[in-house]
Amino acid sequence: MSDPALLSLTEVAAHIRERKLSSVEVTQALLARIEQWQPRLNAFVRIEADEALAAAKEADAELARSGPKGALHGVPMAHKDMYYFAGKPAGCGSKIREGWIASQSSTVIRHLQEAGAIRIGALHMVEFAMGPTGHNAYLGPARNPWNSARISGGSSSGPAAAVAARLTYAALGSDTGGSIRIPANFCGVTGLKASYGRVSRAHVMPLSFTLDTVGPLCRSAEDCALIAELIFREDPLDAVTAGAPAWNKAATRRRADSLKVGVPKRFYVDDLEADVAAALDDTITKVRKLGAKVVSLDLPDPKPIDAAAFVVLSVEATSFHAPWLRTRPQDYTPPVRARLESGLAYSGVEYLEALRWRGPALTAHLEAIGDVDVIVAPAARAVAPKIADTDPSGANATAIKEMSGFLRPMNYLGVPALVVPVAHSAAGLPIGLQLIGRPFGDETLIALGCALQQASDEHLRVPQLR
Amino acid sequence: MSERVTAQRVKAFAEAARVPIEDDAAARAARTVDPTVRCLDELALELALEIEPASFVAIARKGAKG
Repeated sequence: MSDPALLSLTEVAAHIRERKLSSVEVTQALLARIEQWQPRLNAFVRIEADEALAAAKEADAELARSGPKGALHGVPMAHKDMYYFAGKPAGCGSKIREGWIASQSSTVIRHLQEAGAIRIGALHMVEFAMGPTGHNAYLGPARNPWNSARISGGSSSGPAAAVAARLTYAALGSDTGGSIRIPANFCGVTGLKASYGRVSRAHVMPLSFTLDTVGPLCRSAEDCALIAELIFREDPLDAVTAGAPAWNKAATRRRADSLKVGVPKRFYVDDLEADVAAALDDTITKVRKLGAKVVSLDLPDPKPIDAAAFVVLSVEATSFHAPWLRTRPQDYTPPVRARLESGLAYSGVEYLEALRWRGPALTAHLEAIGDVDVIVAPAARAVAPKIADTDPSGANATAIKEMSGFLRPMNYLGVPALVVPVAHSAAGLPIGLQLIGRPFGDETLIALGCALQQASDEHLRVPQLR
Repeated sequence: MSERVTAQRVKAFAEAARVPIEDDAAARAARTVDPTVRCLDELALELALEIEPASFVAIARKGAKG
């Protein structure tokens, strides 16, 4: 068999269950690849080779003894270093949380462990998930596997870089203002920002309780569905999941020719780089060929939505960090401290008006889309920029803020969005698009994502180490 | 055009929050935040009296159905 590290999550899980590959073989394959790529990418903050191999050995023994534990039996994985594992450190990309040991595991981590997944390490992230580029002045930047002079995107920088380079079969990231979709887009992987309230955030580092979502970055939409089936559940430890619908596997098989797909007439399609515009046009043609009905949409201006989201995110993040801002301000890197200090500048009335407008803004969005199932839109105007051109310590604030401009509105509206890689630019960098759903319409995005990926091999392209 | 958000305001809010902030940091925060506050001002939000943050949840659940 060729390199097991190159299999998809769905494939490797089946191979282990069917004993075509052992968990030890698979773990060794990933570790060998991590050893080659880590110096280039800085995608991992911790590599736990010995513990992972011991867990893999135990998984193989358990499989022989009593069969598979679940859908991910013996599959090694790593996640953004803000997911808590009882007894393990979770540094959250920061000096402040360096060496902090979690006493409880995240609910979503427990779900993956109950399905048989094992841990191979922890992945790089932007300090406290506050930034879209992948820079981290404390840890150094994560780098893009397609071109190491380019940003990975953030804040789920390690997850995207590691999934793209085939160093983990899947990774959990978080998305408060685009933090799954930005790096998924720039690194050429598939990333799901879940509907607000469908996945528990219990014992995951918070940033903004109104906007935080957690979700997977994977090698395909099919793999995202495998993870979603395990983690989309109500959780008494996270009240916002109360009453949310459970994952509906049947809905992920919805035929593309039953879908109505909208394409924004303006805002999201203005001033696109030529390669991105061409990728959008090509994908719309593919969607039509799949039989979906395509219509133009006049969506509300995203700028005020983005502004309201920015107020909510800033104030809530500053509230979480206020104790450390009082006692350890010097332990933040300057760009993150500056962002947190900005959150002090809003009044209580401004914050609450921004929060109260969320419902009316969603109403306006729903009126604009009518009975459209999925919106197809760019994830960014351009491909991944250079690391040197986007350093948050420099005078790049506007460019950095705009990186989230197409994405943060979806956090405010609470709707799901799936980034799928659809093309490569002339310079060899990935181009993704976001499929935006109705509230709780995550499964429909998977259905269209799978249909697009069955008609294209873009998601199968693997960066080469040169 | 006068500033909506000033360094003095940021200093006052920071003091109320018991967070120390230098003068230049307060000025930077004011410059960062001012355009966002202006953007929302221009929207001239007229929120119905009954709208509260949890109204969003009911609208999202209704919107799922299409």
